[in-house]
Amino acid sequence: MIEISSTPLVIIAILGVAGVVLPVINVIRKEKGSNSFYAVIAFAALIASIGYVGYQFINENVQPSALFSEDVIIDDAFGGFFAIAMLIVAIFTTVGSFNYMRKQNYPAIYYSLILLSTIGMVLVAYSTDLIMLFVAWELMSIPTYALVGFMKKNPQSNEAALKYFLFGALSSAIIVYGISITYGITGSTNIGEVIQGYSNLDPGLLPLALLSVGMFIAGFGFKMGLVPFHQWLPDTYEGAPPTITTLLAAGTKKAGFAATIRIVVLGMVVLNLDWTLALGILAIMTMTIGNVAAIMQKNLTRMLAYSSIAHAGYILIGLAVSPYSSLGLQGSLYQILNHAVMKGMAFIAVTGIVTTLAVTNLDKLKGLGRRMPITALGLTISLLALAGVPPLAGFWSKIMLFGGALEAGSVVWWATWLAIAGVLNSALSLAYYGWIIRKMYFEGETEKRVSEPKSIIAVIVFSIIFLVGFGVYPDPIIKFVEFATPVVSTGFMP
Amino acid sequence: MENTLTEFVLVSVALLGIGIYGLAVKRNFIRMLFAIEIIINAANLNMVAFGRFIPDSAGQTLALFSIAIAAAEVAVGLSLIIVAYRMYHNIDIADFRSLKG
Repeated sequence: MIEISSTPLVIIAILGVAGVVLPVINVIRKEKGSNSFYAVIAFAALIASIGYVGYQFINENVQPSALFSEDVIIDDAFGGFFAIAMLIVAIFTTVGSFNYMRKQNYPAIYYSLILLSTIGMVLVAYSTDLIMLFVAWELMSIPTYALVGFMKKNPQSNEAALKYFLFGALSSAIIVYGISITYGITGSTNIGEVIQGYSNLDPGLLPLALLSVGMFIAGFGFKMGLVPFHQWLPDTYEGAPPTITTLLAAGTKKAGFAATIRIVVLGMVVLNLDWTLALGILAIMTMTIGNVAAIMQKNLTRMLAYSSIAHAGYILIGLAVSPYSSLGLQGSLYQILNHAVMKGMAFIAVTGIVTTLAVTNLDKLKGLGRRMPITALGLTISLLALAGVPPLAGFWSKIMLFGGALEAGSVVWWATWLAIAGVLNSALSLAYYGWIIRKMYFEGETEKRVSEPKSIIAVIVFSIIFLVGFGVYPDPIIKFVEFATPVVSTGFMP
Repeated sequence: MENTLTEFVLVSVALLGIGIYGLAVKRNFIRMLFAIEIIINAANLNMVAFGRFIPDSAGQTLALFSIAIAAAEVAVGLSLIIVAYRMYHNIDIADFRSLKG
């Protein structure tokens, strides 16, 4: 039985009410402007939600990562962890839009769609039933299709939305087909019973089970941006409004990982297949192709999009080694939280550059360190954290990931190669991150300083405090990650 | 005449194949949307058939949810197509090439 005060229900209530009320207020007030009024309502609803998640953790009302439940949702630490990461991203998006949406039409609908999509993301992390998971997945996806194409007069935004919609609809069709096969061979949609059904499977049905899990990987992989399901991602990130790119890169991508950990990893453990090697190969392909393609880009948004593909590869290392090393999965969760803040800040900095200077081409960024010093500092710190430079927070999550891979190397031979590939890729990524930083600070003539939007400065200051603070003193977050990580092992049964 | 589960699953797999073929071959946006709809309906057929033979009501529930959600998705997709048509007077996916790198 789900209590009425459990975290997911309260988040649905707060964000749902705010998301539905915003367009109604817009109709009653009969006006198009006053963007900041709607932004403040959305911001207050998101702050209230993240406050409630924190309150539940402090009062210890949260179950430790119990991955199964009789109900369709469960209020556990794993879901709470993802909820915090996603709500931080939604807050970044809302605050970053304060300035960006000032010149655009229909702000009420824009913020309402962001809130509805956030409910979907949070529910994906909390759901323990395939029906619930699918509904939450679509609640997350459908508003983002409209948001990517929100700039109706802009051909790029429209093209990005069409490509995103096509791949998104295909991914949900594949997921729903996978769910139908899973239901057919296990006779249930509850994830706990599905995993149990997989473990007592008739050997003749094994190919079907493999097909269903493969469909889950493909369907979730589209959203996560794994190679070879990544073709839509750079186009969509480039064409979408930059604030929505923040939501996609840092938010919906993480929902894919939450769903993958809940179904695929555990399902594969009990199916007892040689699946970890497949995930490991996907991880190596994803990070290498992402980083190599990023080097060749001339556009800042596109470069960050490819770097986001590469980061999906790093996170996948932890999933691949999860049956052999608990440290790997902890590293994955830590990297997910860090990536939400790092990538969120990087794209919000891009939003600031787009709103004030209207450029994203790398050659036009010369001298940005003098024109927009705070934005350039934020971008620099987030890029260094993405590359994993100590003492920023990104360093510790990469250490945990690669340490987990090395630990698993004593059980399976290829895990050591994952760690080596990860370190080499980090070095490779530092090359193009360093190139951006050099352009910003060491090139260009002396330009005059332009005024920077205050909302974007607020996001950047928060993120710098987060990344530097938890980089110097990571203990509290590591303890939190250990509490939130589910235990997955080869002898595991629900 | 009794139908067996295998027949339903074979029809569903055939529909899945038609959908994938349509996505691979067609370049018109609406045709690709049809292909995706065919895949979703193949999954719905699967669920209802499994629900009939297990027997269990969850399959029908899942199919109803899936139909409703697919309708919402198609509504958003068609509105995006209308906006694109007003801008380009064309909905051929090969003509959308402003984003490259």
